[in-house]
Amino acid sequence: MTHLTINGRSTHVQVLPPEGGAEGSTPQTVVLVHGMLTDSLASYYFTIAPVFAKAGVEVVMFDHRGHGKTDRTESGYRLEEVVDDLRLLLDALDRRGPVHLVGNSYGGTIAYAFALEHPDRVASVATIESEPPTGAWAAKMSVNLAKARRDLHKPGANAWIVARYGAHTARLAKAALRLLDTTRIADEIPMSRTVADDAIAALPMPVLGIFGSKSDLAQQAPVIAGVITRGRSIVVPGREHSVLVEEPALCERVLITWVTTGELPAPDATASFREVRAG
Amino acid sequence: MTTSTNDGDAVLARIAEMLLDILDDYGVDDVEITRDTLFHDDLEIESIDLVTLAGSLRAEYGDAINFAEFIARYDLDEIIALRVGQLVDYVTERLDAGTAA
Repeated sequence: MTHLTINGRSTHVQVLPPEGGAEGSTPQTVVLVHGMLTDSLASYYFTIAPVFAKAGVEVVMFDHRGHGKTDRTESGYRLEEVVDDLRLLLDALDRRGPVHLVGNSYGGTIAYAFALEHPDRVASVATIESEPPTGAWAAKMSVNLAKARRDLHKPGANAWIVARYGAHTARLAKAALRLLDTTRIADEIPMSRTVADDAIAALPMPVLGIFGSKSDLAQQAPVIAGVITRGRSIVVPGREHSVLVEEPALCERVLITWVTTGELPAPDATASFREVRAG
Repeated sequence: MTTSTNDGDAVLARIAEMLLDILDDYGVDDVEITRDTLFHDDLEIESIDLVTLAGSLRAEYGDAINFAEFIARYDLDEIIALRVGQLVDYVTERLDAGTAA
């Protein structure tokens, strides 16, 4: 299956069936939610998704509105609209039972919003460098999206990205600028419905926050562990926002263990992280 | 499936058709695709296009052709430097293994 019509848009969906598994048992499902602007389900498709499938977990991935191979329209980019897409997508796939959610960056914010709205449909949440959709988050998005657009329009911006990050990142940045220029995404994401700062306290399921120690989001780590009853946080030393890209082996090991056992792996040579307790 | 229809040239021709389908979405239709063509620098296809290619390969050749497994052999720099010929070799090897089994 590759395309489903969700909220009137042709939506690119990939489902990887679980390998092995006991006869007659219902496999667990994990939904991998990607980030904004430069991201798509390809980030997972060639990395952690096949590992989940091998571990006996069914994987669902989709390109959000305007991203990857899903239809791009001028408007319709508020967070709650993507959350509604995910609900309808799970309905269309007939996944009515609780699913595990894994989200990177904005994908984690989508996961929080979905879990707050549909707690009965979520078995666990794991986010990488994400925060819940609070008023402070929306205000930050407003500033960051406007800045991204300004910066990408500066003369020489593309050459600078090529020199610093390489041609591939520069191409992704160009695609991001097209999305910013041809849609209202930069105005609409900050207008998303927000939740109170302590709303995540109501989340009943296990929640894991993964952060880079050098990221400004790392200050969220003790909050996740402290406010959410079954919340835990880990910090990856020396990393900034791109933990998933820069530490693929570590993220793979942590996320597979988390989804299949509800626990964290024991830190070893391939999994260097520290758990953060409530602050 | 016989070796006569799945030799390197036939596989290259079929993969070239799949890539031209993908490029058609970008309005590109005048590209010659050879074994030396670079996925990234020559075709400028995005990672999400490789997901489409993975689906086309599986539809054409069956579950033996697992593009994610093929990609997993390489790190990011090597993926960016991938040539069409490397994929053709992988597909023909897998098809030969299937025929021999």
